[in-house]
Amino acid sequence: MVEKVEQLSRVKEIAFMGKVAASLSHEIKNTLAIINESVGLMGDLLGKDAPGDWPPYSRFTNLLASIEEQVQRSADIVKRLNQFAHSMDKSLAELDLNEKVRKTVMLAQRFATLRRVNLETQLASEPLHLLSDPFRLLYVIFGLIERAINSSPKDAEVKVKTERSGERLQVTVTDQGTFEAGKIRALVSASPSPEAEQGEADLALLAQTIEALGGTIAAEQEDGGLNKVVLSFPASMPII
Amino acid sequence: MAEYRVLLVDDEEEFVSALSERLMLRGIEVDSALNGEEALASLKEKEFEVVILDVMMPGLGGLEVLRQIKSTYPNTQVILLTGHGSTREGIEGMRLGAFDYLIKPVDIEEMLEKMKEAAKTARTG
Repeated sequence: MVEKVEQLSRVKEIAFMGKVAASLSHEIKNTLAIINESVGLMGDLLGKDAPGDWPPYSRFTNLLASIEEQVQRSADIVKRLNQFAHSMDKSLAELDLNEKVRKTVMLAQRFATLRRVNLETQLASEPLHLLSDPFRLLYVIFGLIERAINSSPKDAEVKVKTERSGERLQVTVTDQGTFEAGKIRALVSASPSPEAEQGEADLALLAQTIEALGGTIAAEQEDGGLNKVVLSFPASMPII
Repeated sequence: MAEYRVLLVDDEEEFVSALSERLMLRGIEVDSALNGEEALASLKEKEFEVVILDVMMPGLGGLEVLRQIKSTYPNTQVILLTGHGSTREGIEGMRLGAFDYLIKPVDIEEMLEKMKEAAKTARTG
C-alpha cells in the first residue's frame, strides 16, 4: 500500500515537472514570436525606406537575417523541450518506437557533439507500435545512448537502430567504447549499489527500470570489439 | 482597396503591433484584438474574411472564441496560432472547424499564403 502511494506520488511529481516545463516552453515561443516579427518589421522598413546605396544597408540586412536564423534555431530547441515535457503527461500511452528513438537521439545529440562522438540512427521502415510509459522509456533509451557516448573515444561512432524481431521490438545501441559488453552484462543483472561508481550504478538502475517497463536488456561483443546493447519490448497492437 | 480583411487576435501586444504593421505594409486591411472578448466585439461591428487567432489566451480561450465564431459567422475562416503543432489544442481546433494552423514563430510568407487561401474560401463559402 505504502509502495503504491509512493509510486502514485512519483507519477504526479513527474507530471508536474512536465506541466511546468511545457508551460515555460510555450512562454519562450511567445517571446521568440515577438523577436521574429520585430526583426521582420525592421527588415520590411529597411527595404522600403532606406536608400540602396546607404553604406550600412547590407550589414543591417545580414544582421537581421542572422537574428531570424537564430530565432528559428531557438524555436527548434524549444520544440524539443516541449516534446520532452509532454513525455511526462501520461504514464501509459501508445507510441511509435521509431519516433521515440528519433526524438531521444535529438536530445542526446548535443551530448555526443560535446564529446566529439558521431551519433547515427537507423530506424525500421515500418512503425513500431508499443504501449509504454513515454517518459521512462525516453529515460532508458537516453541512458543507454549516454553510456555509449561517455565510453566512446573521440571521433568514434555510436549507432542506434530500431527493428522488429518477431513479436518483439528492439533498440540496439552499438559503440566502440571501453565499457565492455561483459561488464555491461554483469552490471545489468546486479542490484544497484551505493558503493558502485556513478556509471555502473546508473546502468544497474536503468536495468531495473527496463524490467519495470516489461522489457529486457542484453549485451554482447561483436567481432572488432564493438559493444552491442539490445533493449527489447513486447510489441503491441495499434489502438484504433 | 485591400483584397481582404483580417482580424488578428493575440494577447501579446508587441506581437500584434509588429505583425499588424507588416501585414498592412503588404496591403492587407488589419484590425487587432488583445483578447477573445475584444475579438468577438470586433466581429459584431465589422465583417472579416479571416481571423488569425492565438489558441492560448487568458480569459476567453482561443478554442472557445473559435467555437463562437464558427457558430455565428460560419463563412469567416479562422487560422490558429499555436506554440507547438502537436498540442491537443491545435488538433481540437482543427476538429472545431479552423481553416488551418500556424506554429509560432510564424513565417510571414507561409502566413500570407494561408490567409489568401482562407479569404478565397470565405468568399466562395
